[in-house]
Amino acid sequence: MQTQRIEYDDTTVRRFIWASIIFGVVGMLVGILVACQLVWPTLNFGIPYTVFSRLRPLHTNAVIFAFVGNMLFAGIYYSIQRLFKARLASDFLSNLHFWGWQAIIASAAITLPLGITQSKEYAELEWPIDLAVVLIWVVFAINFFWTMAKRNEKQIYVAVWFYIATIVTIAVLYITNNLALPLTLGKSYPIYAGVQDALVQWWYGHNAVAFFLTTPILGIMYYYLPKAAERPVYSYRLSVVHFWALIFIYIWAGPHHLLYTSLPDWAQSLGMLFSVMLWAPSWGGMLNGLLTLRGAWHKLREDPVLKFLVAGVTFYGMSTFEGPLLSIKTVNGLAHYTDWIIGHVHSGALGWNGLMAAGMFYWLVPRLYGTKLHSVKGADLHFWLATIGIVLYMVSMWISGVTQGLMLRALNPDGSLLHPDFLETLAAIQLPYLVRALGGAMYFTGLILMCWNLIVTALAGKAVKTTVEVVVVPKPPTPPGEGLVGIILGKPFVFSGLILILVMAIGFMTSAMVAMVLMGAIFLLSLLAWVVNTRDKKAGRKSWFAIIEGNGFAFTAMTLVAILIGGVAELLPTILIHQSLPTDGAKYQKPYTVLELQGRDVYVREGCYLCHSQQVRPFLAETMRYGEHSQIEEFVYDHPFQWGSKRTGPDLQREGGKQPSLWHYNHMIDPRATSKGSNMPAYPWLASNKIDTKLGEKKLRTMQKLGVPYSNAQIDFAEKDQQTQAETVLKDIGADGLAWDSELVALIAYLQKVGRSQGIAFDAPSARAVGMSEGGR
Amino acid sequence: MSKNNKVHHVYDGIEEEDNRLPNWWVAILLGSIFFSFGYWFVYETTKTLPSPLKAYQTEKEANAAVQAKLAAGAPLNDDTLWAMVKDEATLGEGKKVFAQICVSCHLDKAQGSIGPNLTDEYWLHGSKPMDIINAVTGGFPDKGMEAWGARLGPERVKQVAVFVLSIRDSKVPGKAPEGVDYQGNPAPK
Repeated sequence: MQTQRIEYDDTTVRRFIWASIIFGVVGMLVGILVACQLVWPTLNFGIPYTVFSRLRPLHTNAVIFAFVGNMLFAGIYYSIQRLFKARLASDFLSNLHFWGWQAIIASAAITLPLGITQSKEYAELEWPIDLAVVLIWVVFAINFFWTMAKRNEKQIYVAVWFYIATIVTIAVLYITNNLALPLTLGKSYPIYAGVQDALVQWWYGHNAVAFFLTTPILGIMYYYLPKAAERPVYSYRLSVVHFWALIFIYIWAGPHHLLYTSLPDWAQSLGMLFSVMLWAPSWGGMLNGLLTLRGAWHKLREDPVLKFLVAGVTFYGMSTFEGPLLSIKTVNGLAHYTDWIIGHVHSGALGWNGLMAAGMFYWLVPRLYGTKLHSVKGADLHFWLATIGIVLYMVSMWISGVTQGLMLRALNPDGSLLHPDFLETLAAIQLPYLVRALGGAMYFTGLILMCWNLIVTALAGKAVKTTVEVVVVPKPPTPPGEGLVGIILGKPFVFSGLILILVMAIGFMTSAMVAMVLMGAIFLLSLLAWVVNTRDKKAGRKSWFAIIEGNGFAFTAMTLVAILIGGVAELLPTILIHQSLPTDGAKYQKPYTVLELQGRDVYVREGCYLCHSQQVRPFLAETMRYGEHSQIEEFVYDHPFQWGSKRTGPDLQREGGKQPSLWHYNHMIDPRATSKGSNMPAYPWLASNKIDTKLGEKKLRTMQKLGVPYSNAQIDFAEKDQQTQAETVLKDIGADGLAWDSELVALIAYLQKVGRSQGIAFDAPSARAVGMSEGGR
Repeated sequence: MSKNNKVHHVYDGIEEEDNRLPNWWVAILLGSIFFSFGYWFVYETTKTLPSPLKAYQTEKEANAAVQAKLAAGAPLNDDTLWAMVKDEATLGEGKKVFAQICVSCHLDKAQGSIGPNLTDEYWLHGSKPMDIINAVTGGFPDKGMEAWGARLGPERVKQVAVFVLSIRDSKVPGKAPEGVDYQGNPAPK
């Protein structure tokens, strides 16, 4: 037996840990600031760089990619070396990965407050940074798979399955969602438009949650929880079932962010159903974690690490139950655009990600510095502060979300809106907003306590070098039937392929008879698969899963297949439908004029979409409040779409022509001058900032390349057209001292255009219903 | 370590057992799959149950019927509206609506800012009670008056119109007069 002495690379692990902690502090501090800004809108101190709509993306990106990102790299790099019995493949790549990722975070921290954004949630970073992200992700992937290739352990443990799914899927998601045509170094337009852009974005957005915030952390759970509890993992077969079900189903669930929107109904139904089916696979992970503690529950009393890990897994169970619940159409109709969703993501981010990170750090840091945790009491206090903080956060957001959701849809007995003014609903949720900030501050205090505890611990010890003697596993020849052909002809693969084809076929059926026959066939086929599987097991045959778990390449390829099916099945038809949308029918959208486009880019830069949706859902209360519901044809030239996901303020899809331009001007300079009690920040700099008039022409040219039908004449006269229109708008505003080329004029031009597609009249309904025929027009 | 005979595999000291799946968990998994097939069959294959858009149409028609019925019961015209100016309850409600909605453009004393002064004797869109009702309901989007009919509903439109009637000619100093007076004479420039 040949052995080899190796030294693990724990320096990289230590670096990622400290980076995660530092950015955790920064990200959450920004979180508290933006929470307070929603109560006291002047807390940006009149500075553009600290305005809510620019800081909110900074908060989400810092927490997701800097805090959790660095944490998961630390957790992965520590565990794979032990699980593979091999040192990280390349010190150069490890260094490049670490410093490259920190450089990306630094550039995000600079560009987002400057308003350099793609305006896609959690994909705000502009194209040069996107390229860097892809490059560093590839570095990570090479380092990971190279280490895997050098492993001295034949079989691959479940933690690593989840890591593989993370690496492969994030690469696919990130690249697909960020395809864009650059305009300048700091500005690009996505190649997708309208409903297409919306679907791609939320396919990405939802699966960033799935494959950046969930699968890697599940992998980390599978390593650190049994380590800390010193108990066996509950069930291998549960791991197999829930892993494959989770990654296959997750990728379909994105459209649940777009329920009741202009997305075609079939895609909405798929999004809802796959979210419901995700409940059990998610809980499979929770079960395997919690049941690992069988017979070790008493350890929870003494060990802060287990406290954090178990509470983290419990919050995971809670939010993965809440998720499917929120995806049910009727529940979503109430909850979407409200704070309920904000509460939901924070129970995941603070409860699942934050507590798992803390548990892992409290376990790792003493081991990496060869010492004991400085203060167990301090960690306990952190645990209670964090838990109570999360509960305050969640409960206040439930109350706020449900209150506002119910108020916005409440009707009088005569069928009119009970609360016609949006601001009434904002006044009703001031207390929950305060409690939310308090809960966040408590959580943050716990985090600071952890910082202190870990720093003192590290200073008391010394960075450890771990060397181990490993048995070198020679590469055995592939046994017959376990090669590529054997794997592709494997029973589970063939059976699931057949079942999948039948399931897809049902999707196209409109005949009840045929659909029922197909469902019967699926049922019989599944039964047969089960019988065959049981017989093979009894006969002691090596399972197909065991074969691919010993073959890193095959496993990765199968993972890629599993995640591609859902993506292709949903995206492809939508892209095709979009291309065949009528552009000259009754409801067609006129391309934006160059001035409106300039204004739209200001809208994007300032992040208006973070508080205002542009999507009126087909609900009575909503069409009465905002106007006719949105339709798919209206967005064909929207690169990027601006549907938004939250209504801190009212929807703006039918804003065009609704208010006088002077109202908009006053409102932007001081929102409370026109809207008493509003929590919108003032945007006075828009009046003094000038648009780049020379860029207008290039904007049209770029849009033309993306398929927006601008004529060459329009492009040639862009600069002049922009001035002509701006002067009209300026006259309409009638404010003194405003220049025609100020950003505010362009923004108002855009706001007056939004939602005024041909043939969609602003719903001015009641005139007839009230019994009056001739208006005084 | 290997006293546990259920162990399936060991990785870096982590033992992995192979216990069976809890029944209730399998029930949730299969239950949600069966539910999904059923839902798709009912909503997408056969369309037995209404899509969100269809459900909305039904809701909208029912609401329109309610409103039409209410309107038929209490017809509005210039005379009934003038009569209501003496009704304290209607005036009070109208004042509330004004303070909540209209002040943003007409200001707190209706002296005008973005919108015209409502307390002078000049009118842009007609001075009759029904003209006011129509102006509030349908608005004049080109001129900056929002259509409030859908959002406020007929009852509140009536109340606020009555309130506006009650304060006309009170001549609060404010925005210069616009439009024409009751005899059709244009406002002084």
